[in-house]
Amino acid sequence: MKTATNADGRIEVSDLVVRYGDATAVDGVSFTVARGEHVTLLGPSGCGKTTTLRAIAGLETPSGGSIRIGGQAVYSAAERRNVPAEKRGISMVFQSYAVWPHMSVFDNVAYGLRVRKTPRAEIAAQVDRALGLVQMRNFADRSASLLSGGQQQRVALARAIAFSPSVLLFDEPLSNLDAKLRAEMRVELRELQRRLDITSVYVTHDQEEALAISDRVIVMHVGGIEQIGSPEDIYHRPKTRFVADFVGSANLIGGKVSATGNGEINFGVAGGLTLRAWASHPPRGDEATVAVRTALIGLTVKGAEKATDGADMDTGNAVPGTIRTRLFCGDFIQYVVDWAAGQLIVRRPPTDLFAEGAEVTASFTPEHCVLLEG
Amino acid sequence: MTTATLPIPQPRRHFTWRPSGQGVATLLITLFCAALVGYPIVYLVAESLNTGDPGTFPPESLGLDNYTNLIDDSRILSNTAFVACLATVMAVVLGFLVAWTLTRTRLPGRAYLERLMQLPYYLTPLVGALAWAILASPKSGFLNQLWHFVARTDSDLFNIYSPWGIAWVMALFEGTVAFVMIGAAMKSMDPSLEESSRVLGAGKWRTMLRITLPLVTPGVLGAAVFVFAEMLGSFAAALVLGVPGRFFVITTAIWEATLSFPPDYGRASALGIALFGVMFCSLTLYRWIIRRGTYATITGKAFRPRPLEMGAITWLLFALCCFYVLVAVALPLLALLLTSFQRFATVFVSQMQFTLANYQTAVGYGAVSSALGNSLLLGVSVATIGVVVMAVLVWIIYRSRVPGHSLVEYVVMFPQAVPRMVFGLGLLWAWLNIPIPIYGTLWLLALAYFTVMLPLGVRTLAGVVLQVDKSLEECARVCGASWSYQLRTVTLPLLRPGIIAAWLLLFIACVRELGVSIFLVGPNAKVIAPSIVSAWISSSTELSAALALIQSAAVFIALIVLLRAARRYSGELP
Repeated sequence: MKTATNADGRIEVSDLVVRYGDATAVDGVSFTVARGEHVTLLGPSGCGKTTTLRAIAGLETPSGGSIRIGGQAVYSAAERRNVPAEKRGISMVFQSYAVWPHMSVFDNVAYGLRVRKTPRAEIAAQVDRALGLVQMRNFADRSASLLSGGQQQRVALARAIAFSPSVLLFDEPLSNLDAKLRAEMRVELRELQRRLDITSVYVTHDQEEALAISDRVIVMHVGGIEQIGSPEDIYHRPKTRFVADFVGSANLIGGKVSATGNGEINFGVAGGLTLRAWASHPPRGDEATVAVRTALIGLTVKGAEKATDGADMDTGNAVPGTIRTRLFCGDFIQYVVDWAAGQLIVRRPPTDLFAEGAEVTASFTPEHCVLLEG
Repeated sequence: MTTATLPIPQPRRHFTWRPSGQGVATLLITLFCAALVGYPIVYLVAESLNTGDPGTFPPESLGLDNYTNLIDDSRILSNTAFVACLATVMAVVLGFLVAWTLTRTRLPGRAYLERLMQLPYYLTPLVGALAWAILASPKSGFLNQLWHFVARTDSDLFNIYSPWGIAWVMALFEGTVAFVMIGAAMKSMDPSLEESSRVLGAGKWRTMLRITLPLVTPGVLGAAVFVFAEMLGSFAAALVLGVPGRFFVITTAIWEATLSFPPDYGRASALGIALFGVMFCSLTLYRWIIRRGTYATITGKAFRPRPLEMGAITWLLFALCCFYVLVAVALPLLALLLTSFQRFATVFVSQMQFTLANYQTAVGYGAVSSALGNSLLLGVSVATIGVVVMAVLVWIIYRSRVPGHSLVEYVVMFPQAVPRMVFGLGLLWAWLNIPIPIYGTLWLLALAYFTVMLPLGVRTLAGVVLQVDKSLEECARVCGASWSYQLRTVTLPLLRPGIIAAWLLLFIACVRELGVSIFLVGPNAKVIAPSIVSAWISSSTELSAALALIQSAAVFIALIVLLRAARRYSGELP
């Protein structure tokens, strides 16, 4: 069996198009993943993220564009080249785990090594190492059909890394686990990935997961890319209305751009108020939208501004409002605040208690009030 | 993104996925199956329009005479309708009560009873009719003689050689499908729908009338229409119990027409096409009911319905289940067993002469034992080759993305809509007129069995294929396995339970086959079910009982293996 040696594991996807009949699932997507980098494709279901991943794996046949792994084209419409999945030298963890129920845990993990005709002794050593990495060493002889969901997840992971692939693909691997286990596995995945130094592409619809475990996040929407950036970038500097809304939670405020400066602009909203906002790009036209993260808005009782927080009211934004509803959510309290331009959703730590009906001042800095494209 | 790089011309060397190659293979297989399935039907239609010499093909003159002549046969048509309706009502009422009892009440040995309920279907209507002829024929039937003895009269309690008797046997041995379908509808109902009614204050009976019954009505109605279509095409019971008294339904009239001198194939074909038409309409109606009438709340998901506390009625229902097992399994088998060991069938111990002669004839006598051997040979070979071909078909229909794969499904499932008898007639006529000399040989029987069993095999295999998650196979490919390695290490082992089940079901279906076989057997190619019929016709009741038991034994052994295999593997698949 000849396997492509994609030792450097760099992935280049350019102008990828995938069509099913008349429907276009992926429409001209381009991005690169550097060697050892961990990139996440994030988006709602139907955005084309899984299709993109499966095209990289060789499980979907694209209709156009090219995919290169380690510099070699594995798919290229121009060269009419389509390397089958088994010769791409990659590995993948499936959403359903795809742990073969008719084999033992050992046989599952050894599969990729046996396909590659690895000597018996080395198979044993590699399987042991892989099972050790996911803390499943004691389960080697267990039948795979007798494992719990979390254990199957670990076996799937061990199987994917056992034959030391240069590229690892993850298709929503944590989505079938319960919330607590998911949070644990997230930490383990991040640590494992640092230790193994494998290039990986991860698909998820869970924005929290994407932010937590990625070097870079690619937000996808209806078959195209909305924004590429570091998790901090995506969170603090959303470029589009979709990203602001889908990643984290944000207040979207419509208004008019009135004065532009170096990065900072004046933004007029309903009720005659003017906010100071941040623009990473020159505004197009007058009508625009800014996004303010719900967690980055401070609340103070009206008239007591100077007594709390030390927020600099002169350079920041401070708008008057009334608390309409208070929802106690455990880790945070969510307030709905009526103000001149509508309603603001504000999340405060559970220690910041305000009564419903209280007059408050909502404050946020210009850097956290981001002008969106279009 | 523009379409500048598209359309991609014919793929070349680096593409392993070749739409053209796969397309050609699919086309060939589709054409082969379409020929097997469609060819007899074409001949049948042509013959039904033949107004010239019925023995020539292609017809010398065409016309509708064969169809207009059917009006003279109104007696046969009304007989058919009467028996089918009667049998449907019996089967659905019995099936509903039993299904209700088994899914919704706490009965001792429920799982056991449920399995017993399916036995009559495997016993076959032919064997059932034989057994009931022994049990309830006027004067000499076991039950009648017992009645004479107990009540000290000469009048009979039952006459099985009547429309009612035929309908009774059909309901018992072909109506099992009603029980299975209604049971499935009841099991797929979310118990919370009933629970919310109870919580809102409705009593047990009110809930049953206002919630449960309306919810299962589409299922019951669908089952009734489906069973009606089955009953229209039913042959064996009417053959054994109707023909002696010159009571004909469509299927037996078709058979009769092919036996007359000269054989009236035109009349038989017209009857067959008419029957096919009615059955096709019934099945269309059935699909329409199922699609329209099924509420979204009844999902494909299986629930565990909450058993109801029914008090004393439970025992009444339990008695009903036991009665069903008694009349459909225990009594028939006992009657056959007792008869098969006697020189002359009788119920009185004083007159009994026990002998093994019938079994010696069955195993030793040339024609009969060759029928036994042929049936087993056909069962094994058709099941073995059939499973392989049908697995390829299933893969094409459900796993490949070849255009036209749904057409393949339609072609393959088509024999389901044709009454077995009518298909047999079409095959007879088609292969009589083809220069390939396989008529009257086992080859034709094998080909015919394969054709009519396509739906059964494909459905069974598809059930398993669809259960196996696609990613299990994809994962093997991503791990570096080639297609053949993946097939060997992942796909086939996962499909093994389904393949075993399909093999056994095909084997059983071949061993019990009557409708097609009865037209296609030749002097040198006999099989068991038609041999039972001819033993019966030549009034050798005892020999036919022995043969019926041997056939049932083969079927039951296969059935036990099937259940064992199913139990062994059920734990291994998620």
